Amino acid sequence: MELENRAEKTLNLLRSRLCDPSFIFKSFSDSPDGNYSKLKFIISSSITEACNNSILLLGPRGSGKIAVLELVIRDLLLEHADAVSVIRLSGLLHRDENCAFKEVARQLCSEHQLSFSKMASFDDNSQFMIATLRECGLAHKTVIFVLNEFDLFAQGKQRLLYSLLDAMQSVTSQAVVVGVSCRLDADQLLEKRVRSRFSHRKLLFLHPSNEDIQRLLEHVLSLPTDSSFSHDYMVEFNRKLQNILADQRFKNIIATYLDSSSTVNHLVRFLFVAVSNMDMESGFLTLENFKVALSSIQRLPKLECIKDCSILELYILVCMKRLEVKEQNSYNFNTVMKEYKSIHDSFRTSDYYARSVCLRAFEHLLQRGLVCFMDNRVQGQSVEFRSVKLLISPIELHQGMKSYHSCPAILLKLMDREG
Amino acid sequence: MMAMQETVTSGLSKRAARCSSSATTRSNTVENRKPCKAHSLTIDELVFGREPLSLDDLLSSFPARTSQILELLHLFGPLNSPMLPVFVYGGASTGKTSVTLQILRHLNRPFVYSSCRTCYSARILFESILNQLLLHTKNEANGYSSIRRCERPSDFVNMLREALVDTINNLKGRLGKSKAGCANGRMIYLVFDSLELVQEWDKNSILLPFLFNLYDILKMPDIGLIFISSCSPDAYYSNMGYLDPIPLYFPEYTEDDIRQIFLRNQANRKLYSCFFDVVLRPFCRVTRRLDELSTAFSSLFKKYCEPLSDPMVAPNEEIKRRLFGHIQPHIAQALNEVFQVASQPSLEANRETQGRGIIRKPGSCGNLDEIDFHMSTSGKYLLISAFLASRNPATLDASLFDPKGGSDSRKRKRKASGKSLENKEIAEQDLLMKGPGTFPLERLLAIFQCITSVAEDFLDEEEQGDDLSRVETGSILPMSDVLLQLSSLCNANFIIKGGSCPLEGTTRYRSTVSEELALKVARSLKFPLSKYLYRQ
Repeated sequence: MELENRAEKTLNLLRSRLCDPSFIFKSFSDSPDGNYSKLKFIISSSITEACNNSILLLGPRGSGKIAVLELVIRDLLLEHADAVSVIRLSGLLHRDENCAFKEVARQLCSEHQLSFSKMASFDDNSQFMIATLRECGLAHKTVIFVLNEFDLFAQGKQRLLYSLLDAMQSVTSQAVVVGVSCRLDADQLLEKRVRSRFSHRKLLFLHPSNEDIQRLLEHVLSLPTDSSFSHDYMVEFNRKLQNILADQRFKNIIATYLDSSSTVNHLVRFLFVAVSNMDMESGFLTLENFKVALSSIQRLPKLECIKDCSILELYILVCMKRLEVKEQNSYNFNTVMKEYKSIHDSFRTSDYYARSVCLRAFEHLLQRGLVCFMDNRVQGQSVEFRSVKLLISPIELHQGMKSYHSCPAILLKLMDREG
Repeated sequence: MMAMQETVTSGLSKRAARCSSSATTRSNTVENRKPCKAHSLTIDELVFGREPLSLDDLLSSFPARTSQILELLHLFGPLNSPMLPVFVYGGASTGKTSVTLQILRHLNRPFVYSSCRTCYSARILFESILNQLLLHTKNEANGYSSIRRCERPSDFVNMLREALVDTINNLKGRLGKSKAGCANGRMIYLVFDSLELVQEWDKNSILLPFLFNLYDILKMPDIGLIFISSCSPDAYYSNMGYLDPIPLYFPEYTEDDIRQIFLRNQANRKLYSCFFDVVLRPFCRVTRRLDELSTAFSSLFKKYCEPLSDPMVAPNEEIKRRLFGHIQPHIAQALNEVFQVASQPSLEANRETQGRGIIRKPGSCGNLDEIDFHMSTSGKYLLISAFLASRNPATLDASLFDPKGGSDSRKRKRKASGKSLENKEIAEQDLLMKGPGTFPLERLLAIFQCITSVAEDFLDEEEQGDDLSRVETGSILPMSDVLLQLSSLCNANFIIKGGSCPLEGTTRYRSTVSEELALKVARSLKFPLSKYLYRQ
């Protein structure tokens, strides 16, 4: 009971760490030339010098742009509590300008204890934003605008960006606009009038280096020395962890995983699965946990799909593949059935079923996402007549069929033969 | 079978159970339910609502799903431990939804379930989640309205955050005093079922990235997100790109698994197992989906048992052989039938398959010449004219339906033979690709007029007009009735209203009837359809 409790506590601690991005990126924050320090310097200098600024944080998804920014903002709020207010927008939610202005007004209102009117028009809201910015500037209060998914704001008329950046041109206002995007060309998307008002400061977030990863693993997985865990358990846990981390097999697992997905958040996801597999009786992590996690997280969906198919569905796939090899530019269910019949005629297979049964199998393939329609807009056309295409390459199909345990020999033969 | 039924219905029964439990505790609520009653709902309404399930029961009620259940349990983790989003996927009827819900029942943790099948638009989805979180039930007193009106993701996030904070505080407040039947822990789980359907109705593809990003947007460690989809994760990759949740795969059942599942609740296991030796292998070559197999097997097993006097008999070799001889002819036939279960609606195909189901049924019934549905005579004529209009090129109408058409048919033949072989192939290909052609209403009516009058002549010759009155009604039918017939044919999906012609702007129609059925209908009218069919 005691043991299990201990294991549960460990598991809870590790899982809460992994679900908390600010904890994870803290390990990167102490290096002097890291993004954290750079970003903090830029924003805090514009707070203290009371000037306007704009920055873009660019990098692949899951590289911790937002997490680092949130760390910086949290620290700044601690340092200059009254002089900073933060407005957060996301391109996913506020792509629509009307929506965006409304949200800005709402957040400004709640920040300054004003009552927010839902009925306010687009114009009211934008006027309100500019007026508040001026007031904040006069009161020497910096407003930080965080625009997540910045590239989505650059779609359409870019009125939000324009009015924000235009308001920042005046001497009185005091604001920092931080755009966050995973498109490296995000600043090229801006209109001329917006671009000219934007300071082209960019911070790049890159994949973590091997040393970073090693440090991250230790930082996240080892138990803290000053905790309520019993000392012996903590020492034992950390010693076992060190053994695993130093193990060459473990390094290989991590390297294999990072080959395909190399951002920090991907690594976190992998660690989460591994930690969740921890043995609750002993309460220690083992190398086995990481192995299992790798196999469960690295999936080959197409091959799985092939394994799920019935023999009839495989026949249809092979027919379609043959049609594609023949370079027929478009084909539909009827053509596939013609091919199916010709295969049956020449090889006398035992798997020849009625058209309606085949149509159902064909619909299964559509649901599985192995086949899709060429055009999505046609309405009122029945399934048989809409042209389709395969969503699996012949190589994958062949590979999948070879590992299919009872695949008919004739199908493999048909696959081998070109056309 | 019990387990399977549970599989299918548990998603619904959860709500039903919740409703019934609240009804039993407050017996007079049905007559005059006042809005204040709604406030007496407690946070415990968010758990599954029946007595919790032990782990052994959970594992034994889902044969062949042990590893998936354990993995999902691992991901859920111990009480009050946060969780990254999980993506549960696998083919239809592999137990994704029921395993997830039963695990939540086993853990007795609060959750909100919403299926994108019943919540078929962003607004309905959002409002359903908010209603459940805020313990709001739609009833007469509130005019069956939702608690909040919420259409946009941005509003939804604000409202959801508010509601979640309330609920979680509520859960935290009672953490100390946990008793039986109460929700466990302070985590709240949001389950999104049938996510693949969102791709259909979310044309601007805003919602999917939003849902996948919801965890990062909310930044609340106390919620867990579970997505259930029948499409694999790679179907969701788009140029938008988002960090994928943790995948958990439910594979299709193997033959042995299927046998195990079907044998679970059989009265006479030995007999059923013999039955399976005969039927399972051939059927698994066609489909391995449980829902489809179970319908096929239930009727087939009845046939299998027919020669037996006592259904509880333990089969010996002799009985087995006799039964095998009895069932064998039925197997081949059953294999080529589309089972009566409406095949799970794929994409937009749903509407069409249902429509064609009516048409295909007579075909699968096989040998019968009779059509097994009722239709008025003029409706049948209209059906035939639509078929002809779809099949024949419009340019040949005049020569085909000219009353003095003797010479024309020869002319037509000459013309057809003059065509080169290549052209013929292309035309054939066209027919396969494009399907039946479209036609305007005027053409349909003209053909209708022609064939009804022709049929009259034809019957006159053949039968000396003993059945004249019936056909006459066809020819002198007022126009409004014909249009009414047409609209009912459209509703029954025999004729599809297509898009309008870009030049004329009129609606065009298209007949979906197969030649087989058209011939059958014609035969029932004694109408010489083949004479009017244009063949290349």
